[in-house]
Amino acid sequence: MSQCLIFGLDGATFTILDGLMETGVMPNLKRFAEEGAHGKLMSVKPPLTPPAWTTLVTGRTPGHHGVCGFFQYNSPESSSIQIVGSRQVRAETMWAMVNRQGKRSGCLNFVAHNPAPKIDGWALPGWVSWRWMKSLSHPAGVVEKLAAEIPGFDVKILAMDYEEERKAIVGSGIDDHEAWIQLHISREKQWFETLKRLQSTQPVDLAGIVFDGVDKLQHLLWGYLDPRIAPSNPSPEYQRTRAAALEYFRTIDLLLGEAMELFRDWTILICSDHGFTNSWEILFINMWLEQAGYLTWAAGTEKTENPAEMEPSLYHLNAFDMDKTTAYALTTSSNGIYINVKGKKGDFGIDPADYGRFRDELAARIANEIRDPATGESIVTGIATREEAFHGPAMDLAPDLTLQLRDFGFVSVRRSNGILANRENPFGTHHPEGILFARGPGIRAGAKIEPTRLLDIAPTTLFAMGLDIPADLEGRVIEELYEPAYLSEHAAKRGATTAAVQADTTAEVPDEDADILAKMQALGYLE
Amino acid sequence: MEYLTRDQVRAQVIDLLKSAREDFDSSIQITDQTGLFHDLGFESIDAIGLSSTLEGTFDQTLPFPEFMNRAKREQWKDITLGNLLDFLMANLNRSAERVAA
Repeated sequence: MSQCLIFGLDGATFTILDGLMETGVMPNLKRFAEEGAHGKLMSVKPPLTPPAWTTLVTGRTPGHHGVCGFFQYNSPESSSIQIVGSRQVRAETMWAMVNRQGKRSGCLNFVAHNPAPKIDGWALPGWVSWRWMKSLSHPAGVVEKLAAEIPGFDVKILAMDYEEERKAIVGSGIDDHEAWIQLHISREKQWFETLKRLQSTQPVDLAGIVFDGVDKLQHLLWGYLDPRIAPSNPSPEYQRTRAAALEYFRTIDLLLGEAMELFRDWTILICSDHGFTNSWEILFINMWLEQAGYLTWAAGTEKTENPAEMEPSLYHLNAFDMDKTTAYALTTSSNGIYINVKGKKGDFGIDPADYGRFRDELAARIANEIRDPATGESIVTGIATREEAFHGPAMDLAPDLTLQLRDFGFVSVRRSNGILANRENPFGTHHPEGILFARGPGIRAGAKIEPTRLLDIAPTTLFAMGLDIPADLEGRVIEELYEPAYLSEHAAKRGATTAAVQADTTAEVPDEDADILAKMQALGYLE
Repeated sequence: MEYLTRDQVRAQVIDLLKSAREDFDSSIQITDQTGLFHDLGFESIDAIGLSSTLEGTFDQTLPFPEFMNRAKREQWKDITLGNLLDFLMANLNRSAERVAA
């Protein structure tokens, strides 16, 4: 029976890794590529961390697993926004699929895994602040045990520090890049020590770990990493910062080398949830919606002073006058536009019967009217309806339209003085083309394969482990990774459908909202 | 689903709050009047972890964002343990009530 390790590099891209392998910064990754197969791994639409990783671990598209972004409405009818967690995941995860087939699993630092799933194995969630890591991990007491067993273990380093993460989003104002990079180096080492300790004391058959500093560094330090925009005459500051950033990738490579030894007989899949590229401009989408007559700002919503400054916060619940707004963008990273339909969240909005016409017209206006004033080029190069991007039972939670910009950047949702601005510094943004490297029994050595999809990772993992692949997984086994002889001896086995997951009872939320408000009013907390 | 009393919920929530504050001064008496932010030193971002922790502990989805939005909109000076218990008691036993009905 084969075992499998998912070695997750959040946001990793060949744009950066190719050069790092060629120049000797990542010799273990280069050796891994020589000993295994690799190719591009296409993300979901939009290529965003929570829906992408959730697709990887469930083998389902966002419209089915129910995670559409970092933030989403509680229900189609609710005005409340929540940060996604495991309770929003409507599909069975790989960790549970292998449990059902008698194997143990463990996962470390995956987004949308809080509270940790109660799997047969262990789970420490990602995107959790240190105070709550103990209570959100599984099994109970696992973090305290690690603290007692691993020298130097510090949950404050392991877990997310929101102030530090915000630096990665804000994209400016960091005086000491080196210290920030060192923090991420320490974090990744500690996650790996955690993996080693748990695997040695509570071994599993399927293990997953995500190193998310790759994404953070690329957001903030893209200008120091992308060889395509490297300065011809680099300053000492550039050289020092690049050297520090490369030290981070050197560390990742060392951890990979250690994993290649520790998990020598396993199948190892190195995956990213999306790729990365350079964003050079900012589209203030809500400013355009205002000028086009769709949006009215709430009284007191301030304009940003510095157009090049990134989002001060991720969502603006109270920024809009929802009694005068028919379309709005709620969060920066989802690049989504919501249409305010009368009777859905409130009394104002477009007539439900007019929804299709309204949406088509809005999409056409965005495509035709948002243009580069100098060249006339369209800024928005792709517009997906929710049926196209989020087809499935969770579709009603998703934005009505999802935009792809010409530089793949995130829209700004802020109020500003204009619609378009250039960024002061290069800013790394997500790109649909991620990475896949695979090594293990039957996998071809030195093979380069055509692009595959995140959806294919779950069935490929189960195939590598010799387990049944649930019939309702939407992807396929990536057979081109394997030697033909291996495939002829190891047929993929499609099994029963995934186990039902008790979804967040979103349909009941409006009643609960109303009920809780009524009870709170009765208790005297509300007017 | 088992019906939970306010005292049972209070005991569990206090344990969670103490666990989240590893530097917690055990001499501090947590009462229904204790403020999570002013008295216990939590930061606004901790509301997210608290929400997930409560949902995990009680194995139930809670309309926590609505609770927080209301607190903000109504300009509560703090969220006390009593506020939190009122919110939890109004929601946690809904399943039990439905079963009983």
